[in-house]
Amino acid sequence: MSDYTIVGKRMPRVDSRAKVMGKALFTADLKLPGMLVGKIKRSPYAHARILNIDTSKAEALPGVKSVVTGKDTKGVKWGVFAYTRDQQFIQIEKVRYIGDEVAGVAAIDEETALKALDLIDVEYEELPPVFDPMEAMTSQTELIHEDFANNINVHVNIDTGNVDENFEKAQYIREDTFVAPEESYFQAEPYAIVARFDHEDCLEIWCPNGGPHMKSKPLSNAFKIPLHKVKVRKIAIGGAFGGRSEICPVDYICSLLAKKTKKPVKIQFTREENTIATRQGHAMLTTHKTGVDKDGRVLARETTCYMDGGAYSSTGPIATSVPFLSMEQAYRMGSVRYNGYRIYTNKPIRGMIRTHGRGFACGLDTQLDMIADHLGIDPVEIRLRNSRQPGEYTSTKSYVDSCAMDETIHKAVEKSGFKKKWGKLPPFHGIGIGTNSVQTGFPMGIRGGSQSFIKFNEDGEATVMSGVVDNGQGNDNMLVQIAAEELGLLPEDIHLVSADTETTSSDPGSYSQVSTFVGGHAVKIAAQNCRAKLFEVASKILKVSPDKLAAENRLIFVKDDPEKSIPIKKVVRISLLNFNSVNAEGGYWPRVDMKREWVKNPYGQMCEAFSFGTTIVEVKVDPDTGQVEVLEATAAQDVGYAINPLVLEGQFEGALTMGGQGGMLTEYHEWKDGRCLNPTMLDYKLPLACDMPPKINNIIVESVDPKGPYGAKEAGMSIAMSAAQGYSAAVSNAIGVYMDSFPLTPDKILAAIKEKKAQEN
Amino acid sequence: MRLPRFEYLRPETLGQALSLLAVHKDDAKILAGGTDLLVRMKKGLLKPKALISLKALNELSYIKKEDACIKIGAGASLADIIASDIIQKEAKALFQACGKVGAITLQHYTGTIGGNILQDNRCHHYNQSGLHRSGRQACHKDGGKICYARDEADRCNSTCQSDGATALMALGAGITLARKGGERTIDLADFYTTDGIMPFAIESHELLKEIIIPVQGAKSAYTRLAYRSAIDYPIVCAGVLLKPSDTQKDKIDEARIVVGAIARSPLFLVRESSSLKGKNLNDTDAFKKAADSSMNSASTFAVHNVGSTLKYRCDMVSEMVFQALKKSARAALPTKE
Amino acid sequence: MEKILITLNINDKPCEVMVYPNDTLLEVLRDELDLTGSKESCGEGVCGSCTVHMDNKPVRSCLTLAMEATGTKIKTVEGLASGDDLSDLQQSFIDHGAVQCGFCTPGMLMSADALLKDNPRPDEKTIRKALAGNICRCTGYAKIIEAVAHTDNPQDQCPDCKTGSKTKE
Repeated sequence: MSDYTIVGKRMPRVDSRAKVMGKALFTADLKLPGMLVGKIKRSPYAHARILNIDTSKAEALPGVKSVVTGKDTKGVKWGVFAYTRDQQFIQIEKVRYIGDEVAGVAAIDEETALKALDLIDVEYEELPPVFDPMEAMTSQTELIHEDFANNINVHVNIDTGNVDENFEKAQYIREDTFVAPEESYFQAEPYAIVARFDHEDCLEIWCPNGGPHMKSKPLSNAFKIPLHKVKVRKIAIGGAFGGRSEICPVDYICSLLAKKTKKPVKIQFTREENTIATRQGHAMLTTHKTGVDKDGRVLARETTCYMDGGAYSSTGPIATSVPFLSMEQAYRMGSVRYNGYRIYTNKPIRGMIRTHGRGFACGLDTQLDMIADHLGIDPVEIRLRNSRQPGEYTSTKSYVDSCAMDETIHKAVEKSGFKKKWGKLPPFHGIGIGTNSVQTGFPMGIRGGSQSFIKFNEDGEATVMSGVVDNGQGNDNMLVQIAAEELGLLPEDIHLVSADTETTSSDPGSYSQVSTFVGGHAVKIAAQNCRAKLFEVASKILKVSPDKLAAENRLIFVKDDPEKSIPIKKVVRISLLNFNSVNAEGGYWPRVDMKREWVKNPYGQMCEAFSFGTTIVEVKVDPDTGQVEVLEATAAQDVGYAINPLVLEGQFEGALTMGGQGGMLTEYHEWKDGRCLNPTMLDYKLPLACDMPPKINNIIVESVDPKGPYGAKEAGMSIAMSAAQGYSAAVSNAIGVYMDSFPLTPDKILAAIKEKKAQEN
Repeated sequence: MRLPRFEYLRPETLGQALSLLAVHKDDAKILAGGTDLLVRMKKGLLKPKALISLKALNELSYIKKEDACIKIGAGASLADIIASDIIQKEAKALFQACGKVGAITLQHYTGTIGGNILQDNRCHHYNQSGLHRSGRQACHKDGGKICYARDEADRCNSTCQSDGATALMALGAGITLARKGGERTIDLADFYTTDGIMPFAIESHELLKEIIIPVQGAKSAYTRLAYRSAIDYPIVCAGVLLKPSDTQKDKIDEARIVVGAIARSPLFLVRESSSLKGKNLNDTDAFKKAADSSMNSASTFAVHNVGSTLKYRCDMVSEMVFQALKKSARAALPTKE
Repeated sequence: MEKILITLNINDKPCEVMVYPNDTLLEVLRDELDLTGSKESCGEGVCGSCTVHMDNKPVRSCLTLAMEATGTKIKTVEGLASGDDLSDLQQSFIDHGAVQCGFCTPGMLMSADALLKDNPRPDEKTIRKALAGNICRCTGYAKIIEAVAHTDNPQDQCPDCKTGSKTKE
């Protein structure tokens, strides 16, 4: 690894200077000449038919420039997949959750826009709503979407065969059910969008996004304009965590208002809108039935999961699959049958989130601990007996190449002192382990690959173009490091043009953990191609063949005789004088099974690499209040290769906070008749600096994936998930009760302690 | 989030402020730190025609000891209270309570003790946006006739989550309410109505001027539970005061137990308080009994409207009271030499 | 309702600006004065993204009326650096990887800066308490706390402290 001079090093991020100076511009910071303020009129009913919308009073209000309703949308429907197109951008017939879009307004200022919203009269006929997914499946009331019987939006069925036979062979079988309610992203930046149509009728938009190309295509479809006319621009983004991957109605509404008014329009969401009207994490009810042999090896598993999908499909088929995929990647199973149901309810729309499936995964790990308990082995041993090994196929036939799952377990166990502590801690003091795996990417057809262009400027510096977007995780820096490494330049010589659909080629986006593996890879190849051109020229000057050359620190030199060198800047100029361009392109497409499909054919190569993570957590529980104090957390992940350890550690720590500290202790939504009772940062309990454990140990494990750039896979996601599992296991261990309802809030913990006490007496 | 429009008034003396209040009455609200008022205005819960800012008024920001009392101007900031030696030594419960309010950057410098006492009651069905509150019948506090927190309730059950008020009531504090041409002083315990719509017995032309804490050689403590260690209202809290007997230093002469964040106002539990009279300062059994009894008394008022679960919050009344009693007893016990 | 002309002292410069009584300081900074470093995230005083200094104390600009800021000295994140020279705290944030998405960063810096002015070498517990009113969704706070702790107190064993150039005394 030491061959690299720039990758693999702790490097402060290139974007942080602008951010600490307050200069980095986020969408809400933009101001364009003549810009109007947009606002959205939302449904106050969970389920209702729209009888009439009268916008005349709003339109007559001085300062109002445009009011749009479903009539202006021409009935266009959006859905991630052809078979899930169920959402109109502005509802015209009926509304399906409190917050559903019914109209949009553009006005000269916020006050006027808000006043106009109040002046829009919408006549509704209330319909019986349904909020509980189990009820929704048997409800006799009007379906939420008439094409979806029993309100079942997606059903994923996976069956490897031999499940029933293997249960017959099992020595021990358990069946347990686990539940977890909805959670939310709470990105620091509330959603915002600025849209305008330019002098050539091109739509230009700025908004936080998980992939600019994933925004431009549906907008071009919706407005029936060519793809090149939708220009999603780069802007600083205040977090995504899986929640900003698709387009949402406000993107369309803002663009439509801009089109009608011929002016730029900005819409800024309130914190409440960001919570209820973008996406949320699914509530889940999961039953795992697991049969093991006498050593605790899983012979058969049957998992059934019911997910509360809310009002529309969103990424439904993916969401219904991912918790299962994480399970089948992390653990070997002799055979498995999975039935995942995503069910419509009259609640906000659910999508992918960093901690998607916390109830599913924590349930699985809890059950594994119960089985280990029964067999008299410890939680580490049972994981090692079932953990994924390199060179194997997952249950759905994905080949797993690099895999250091066991190493993450061993290292985390050693660092945390797990073996010394397990079973020996005083009462109400516990330690627990969680393990998980995450995929780098999904089969995405023609949009699965990323392409990059690099051009050298005559001053010897380079401009790198890439569709990769930075949501805050450090993707920009990752690209700069890779380009600088390959081109032999310094990071400050690399100028990034990224996340702009006009100037960059397609890229799958950052939400499927694929930015480094695919997008970074494309930049690496482009840079290598560019370097080859430089070497061609330099080889003539230095009079050695190109394969004897290397580039570093702005110089091209002879590997065996480093004194023989020439500045890159000079090579560029010589090349230009000889009528040769110094540009190059490169692309990377993961070799996945293009026939794999979420519902129709959930078998075949999912992606090229998988990351694996282990988190061990030590807690103390106050037996009188049920409150949890986290003493120490240890996070170990097989990232493939650490391109920037400084950034990686930040990803681990952030993942642990969202997945474990928040996701397993305090974060969940409460409801009353479809109304979210805690949509704000006051009422939804995000962890604070003083809530965090005093000590977090980060352990970077490198399996060096043969396909990943430098061997890299992804950073932090399998920590987010395994942290949830580690936290829940630690609390269960501390109180001596296996918990089945997440997150583990003090009321549940205290109730469990009391119940146990009552049973013992 | 945009504030609704209002007229901004900035008196420079208390007299001017009271004159303005006398004129505007219900149409005006007093703006002190603004950390509670402005949030409610942003949510559209309140649309006063005028705000009377106390920003230019310096005469209400004092903490002093006078006539065996601690006197605190209602405009004193929480930071000043936390930093005050007098409060730390002689009104520990208030010191502990103010330290728990919000976070340093949020309330301590801008938030005032007057504002903390007068922070409006809260309910997770009421403290919501206009969108949330539309499409259903208005609740009592929102001008309607229904309570979403308790079925069939004939009045508002919003919860008083003031840390400061709970501690001050335990300390036996009184408050002075000034109006144009006069003022009155009442016990804080008598300051509350039994309706969450308007929880305070204050006239629209009155202004909270001063808090008076009797200094009586007693020890006090404040405990609370919340989800987070900062920027959180308590979901249950307790303020306790124990006064040792003058003659027998290890016996309790007077006790005050107050439970907060569970009902429309902090609850001064008379029966439980008097149960401790004459008890030893290290009689934890008596503390436990008083704490359990506090739970039973307080639970009848509780509704599920400020997060967590009702059962948990009620259970924790006992724990918070018990902890507070132990804390103040520890402080009150004569030090062994 | 009429707009009123007020004078604000922002980052040591007097600024005349027309405001409505219901304009918050945050709105005036961002919309009228183009100082968009201070962010709105929750709008109700919880998250701390809008934190600025008023007479050297951190306050929430989203819950401060612009009118109430007259006669005080306001400092925003734009006022931390002198020209292109970053403050030690800003540099420490960069070096320690304390910045991810960067949306909470301005408010976090203002809270930390106020702390360091009072207490240049705070311990970890003090830092956690001082930053308790600033929510970060990306970092898990560990690197932020480290950045604040090491600003005036670089540690030899910290791989991210530029001990050579930054050591004090």
